Amino acid sequence: MASVHESLYFNPMMTNGVVHANVFGIKDWVSPYKISVLALLYEMTSSKITLPERRRLNKLILPLQQGPDLTLGQFLKTVEECCPQTAYAVKLRLQEMADGELKDMEYFFSTLPTPFSAFDSEAHKTSVVGLFMRHMLLAYNKLSFSQVYKLYKSLQHYYHSHYAKPTDGQVGLPALAADDSEMDLTSIEDTVGDRVDKEELDAPLHESELRSDGTPSRGPLSQKQAEYFLARQAYLLKNDENKALKPAALQEELNNMLKFNPDFAEAHYLNYLNSMRVQDIFLSAHSLLHYFDRLILSGNEGKSNGDEGYGRSLRYAALNLASLHCRFGHYQQADLALQEAIRIAQESNDHVCLQHCLSWLYTLEQRKGSESTVLTQDSVKMAAHFCLPYLGSLDIQSLVQQGAMQGKAAHKLMDALKDTEILHWKHSLSELIEISLAQTTSIWRMYGKSTMALQQAQLLLNMSSLEPVNFGVHQNNTEAFAVALCHLAELHAEQGLYNATSEIFQHLKEQFPPHTQHSKLWMLCDLKIQFERHMNDRKYHLAEPLVKAMSALNKTEGLYRKAHVLKALNRSTEAYSILQQLQVHCEKTKCTEIIIRVMLSTAELHWESSGFSTALPLLLQALALARQHHLQSLASETILHLAFTQLMLGVPEQALNVLHEAMEPILAHGAVIDKGRAMLLAARCHMAVAGFKLKGQGHLDLQLAALAVDSLNEAASYFSKLKCKERLRDVHYLQAQLYRSLGQTSQSNRSAMNFRLLDQELQSPAPPVFMQL
Amino acid sequence: EDAQDLDALTLAKSYFDLKEYDRAAYFLKGCCSQKAYFLYMYSRYLSGEKKKDDETVDSLGPLEKGQVRNEALRELRVELSKKHTARELDGFTLYLYGVVLRKLDLLKEAVEVFVEAIQALPLHWGAWLELSNLITNIEMLKSLSLPDCWIKDFFMAHMYTELQMIKEALQKYQNLIEAGFSKSTYIISQIAVAYHNIRDIDQALALFNELREHDPYRIDNMDTFSNLLYVKSMKPELSYLAHNLVEIDKYRVETCCVIGNYYSLRSQHEKAALYFQRALKLNPRCLGAWTLMGHEYMEMKNTSAAIQAYRHAIEVNKRDYRAWYGLGQTYEILKMPFYCLYYYRKAHQLRPNDSRMLVALGESYEKLSQQVEAKKCYWRAYSVGDVEKMALLKLAKLHEQLNESDDAAQCYMLYIQDIFSCGEQLEHAEVSTALRYLGQYYFKNKLYDEASLCAQRCCDYNDARAEGKALLRQISQVRDQVETPSADLFTPLSNNNTPVRRVSPLNLISFTP
Repeated sequence: MASVHESLYFNPMMTNGVVHANVFGIKDWVSPYKISVLALLYEMTSSKITLPERRRLNKLILPLQQGPDLTLGQFLKTVEECCPQTAYAVKLRLQEMADGELKDMEYFFSTLPTPFSAFDSEAHKTSVVGLFMRHMLLAYNKLSFSQVYKLYKSLQHYYHSHYAKPTDGQVGLPALAADDSEMDLTSIEDTVGDRVDKEELDAPLHESELRSDGTPSRGPLSQKQAEYFLARQAYLLKNDENKALKPAALQEELNNMLKFNPDFAEAHYLNYLNSMRVQDIFLSAHSLLHYFDRLILSGNEGKSNGDEGYGRSLRYAALNLASLHCRFGHYQQADLALQEAIRIAQESNDHVCLQHCLSWLYTLEQRKGSESTVLTQDSVKMAAHFCLPYLGSLDIQSLVQQGAMQGKAAHKLMDALKDTEILHWKHSLSELIEISLAQTTSIWRMYGKSTMALQQAQLLLNMSSLEPVNFGVHQNNTEAFAVALCHLAELHAEQGLYNATSEIFQHLKEQFPPHTQHSKLWMLCDLKIQFERHMNDRKYHLAEPLVKAMSALNKTEGLYRKAHVLKALNRSTEAYSILQQLQVHCEKTKCTEIIIRVMLSTAELHWESSGFSTALPLLLQALALARQHHLQSLASETILHLAFTQLMLGVPEQALNVLHEAMEPILAHGAVIDKGRAMLLAARCHMAVAGFKLKGQGHLDLQLAALAVDSLNEAASYFSKLKCKERLRDVHYLQAQLYRSLGQTSQSNRSAMNFRLLDQELQSPAPPVFMQL
Repeated sequence: EDAQDLDALTLAKSYFDLKEYDRAAYFLKGCCSQKAYFLYMYSRYLSGEKKKDDETVDSLGPLEKGQVRNEALRELRVELSKKHTARELDGFTLYLYGVVLRKLDLLKEAVEVFVEAIQALPLHWGAWLELSNLITNIEMLKSLSLPDCWIKDFFMAHMYTELQMIKEALQKYQNLIEAGFSKSTYIISQIAVAYHNIRDIDQALALFNELREHDPYRIDNMDTFSNLLYVKSMKPELSYLAHNLVEIDKYRVETCCVIGNYYSLRSQHEKAALYFQRALKLNPRCLGAWTLMGHEYMEMKNTSAAIQAYRHAIEVNKRDYRAWYGLGQTYEILKMPFYCLYYYRKAHQLRPNDSRMLVALGESYEKLSQQVEAKKCYWRAYSVGDVEKMALLKLAKLHEQLNESDDAAQCYMLYIQDIFSCGEQLEHAEVSTALRYLGQYYFKNKLYDEASLCAQRCCDYNDARAEGKALLRQISQVRDQVETPSADLFTPLSNNNTPVRRVSPLNLISFTP
């Protein structure tokens, strides 16, 4: 019943009360550009062209017919490249029309081969060319008297503007010029009266409409041009944000477009995407709802599926709203919207939509920090059932991530990833392949296998995209790339290659400018690296301001770093309370890595109050946790702490035993600073075992002492690589002592001199050497 | 000068009246008097506008239609701005300059020029009206320096109505009436519209009836009148009005709206929509018609068309709260309570003191089981003066659901007070529900006097009679057991309409165990 009323009393083509025979469906209108294409087709059918030229022209036809309007200059240039002779003929014909009279254009249309009469030519009525010609003839014949005259006027303008401005072929320049002239009239106030002379007034606005090629332009675009523009911008937003228009410019362009055609629903959607880019919740929500309000109407167009038309868009409207709120962190709102979407989808038995909802549901649960493994598993099963490979493997990836967090067996995770990988390549889901690689990188990093992580990251960065390269954009602007690059930067920083690191950050900064969605990733990463460096150099005053910046990006991380700084500044009580707070928080959110780190820091705090025995159970707990979750680097770090504690407790032999266990992984995968610390610790253990005392000169086990010398040398080389002078000074001090007790005075003196030099340079009193790891 | 140009001016004026603008402009070209100059420029402006309208109909493509513009505007602006800087413009030409600027979307400059025009010629109401379209808020209004003329009061009253500051507007109009404009039909109609805006229906109706007596052939504002008649479901009056207006002029927007309302009241929604469409054809920027059409489509359950119509209304005026509210209702009908929240919120923003939006918001929240928000909405709706008297009942029921019996009882009590104090019988009144709950509540709290009173009142209502009697029986049983008869138990209260009023909510709380 509803549809009957609609057709009787509501004309969807009615806008602002005026009925236009437009909006939906009919997109072809005769424009000067189309006349040129017609002229080209006409020339092709009527004149003799050599075979290779004809082939090239044939190839050209489809893009010319379907693409947006070109300027005459561009058009002639493309044709000329294929066949200069035809281009000339086309130009002549256009000139004939433009310089002649209206009747010349009318004559042209009447001489066009009618597709119904020409049976054996290319312009047969069912061919592509024939169809196009029929469309054009139909559209032309429909024009009213004044419209024909207008068309002729614009044809004249189209032709003459090409010759008036020979530079028209250059993209961008004319656009700017036109912009200026228009801006003059609308915005600049005082001088305008004098500046706008007659000539500028005469230049009609149509100029801007005839300009095209997808470059941003003010003024109206034709339907096709607008669609092309929107598609291009949306694609760029998804794949390479930097190449898209700046948010403000794009917004202006969209406003312009909407002003001319408020029914253009897709523009609202792009508006939504654009507002998301600048984190504008109000505008994005507004545009999203507006888009779906419009869509609901146009959804009725396909009446074949009855009510399905707008019911479908309703579901997805709710789902999109949920995703919007989720992205802005309004989890409760998102939850409500999602429930709505699920309910509507259930009512109409739309399993695909339900599946989408399910995967959003578990994402939401995850974001809220609650357990969602069961949901995800369900989701995988459902996706497999409905043959939705994309969602299915996305679910699996999410499961793997959860599994890794919960310390599931590593081989199972890798197996699962491998299986999805097969799926991805089968369906060529390039986006998921990238995510998968980035995920593997992260997992390897988490497990502390830096080499594997490095390899995976390089693999991702060097992989050539599967997607056909659209608009000259490689898809390298996604989150996966950001993650991989961040890991790469951190890995380089760990090895002390700070130049390389800063280069990577430079690249990141270009690829993901600060206002974009994924920029937070590299910002945090950058801050972390800087923080570590300052802490190692004991420049706490430099590290402190970074903490604030970090807290803004990630609260937990910021808190943890704050505790670090406080600890370093000997404000132990405050540091301790923060660490306690963090531990409680992280146990709630199941953030194992941070828990272990917090435990280690707490143990260090205990050291400072000489509570070595109280630190031991904590460290053992941390070790158990790290092993359970396969976190090798953290486990080795814990072992270092453990060994140090034992050393301090006066059981150096035991400490050495423990240390040996960690030495291998640290040397293989660890950061340079860890290597140095491990070697330094080993040397000190050796010295202690050998019976070395700082003051007195007892008998020394020479073999062990030699080992200690070697270790110290190695540690010195690591520290000097990092330019970590504080630690280097400690090493030289120990070296000097050791050499002296071994009776090698010259060596001892050299080390002592090194120590002295560094000490002078640093100008800060050395902290108690033996109280730190 | 005037005498010199008189011939040309008279000729041109005739052409102008015949809407041959170009011709008028041609004959005025050489004239130098102010009058002739204005007519010359004005003809050129109107000619451009007319051509623009004609162009719109046969543009070459759908997207071209937006770019059709009045080509004359730029030239006019250049000429006028030259004269403007030379200070050669009089009140009328300044007005024209302002119009041109506004058409070119140079709003800030337009405001300045209009103010200038008003200062030059305060009695030109057209300039005031143009200015009123450009003022968006009260601060802007206050910042303008306007001449102190009696017509300024009209303007201020008009602005207050536009900015929904009804009280101030009414005050202004009252002052004007007292100052000697008591016979002005304009003022009467404006007051009526103002009453309509604050939903004081009876007052507005009375004024409109008066207006029709004074000015029987008036068509302006009659659409508002018909809205009022519609709300009151006064079929014969509406029908009479519709027929009358058709006789006067059937091709007026107002007439079409009245007929649309008439058909809508008779539940002939298709026809109603048809007439609203006709109104829109006559004036595409007629806001009310879009919204009303949306309502009609809602009635026809054609939600997609309704959404479309409402969206159009919003496009014409973003501040149209009825369209936002309508959109919300549409989505509510589609069972999307969360989705409609956004629209209701928009509507609420525009009319913060309208209880209907608040109740709608509350209902949506309730559907989403967000009781806290729902409670806030209902309470707020009651506080701003509930039109439909539903907020308290809903609030009470919500409290009841949440087992907050004290609050629920309090709300029911307020509800009963509210219902009785407004005097008239409302259809959906659920006094019996409230009484039943209160009876039970008092009984539980061992306040037998009050409980029995409520139970007695319950017996007045058919649907609660049985329960009331049962409660009375229970009470007497308990009383017998306790044996604490009080002499003044059955004080004559029956003629008191609001029996529970004597127990203030505050005592209640102190009584609860």
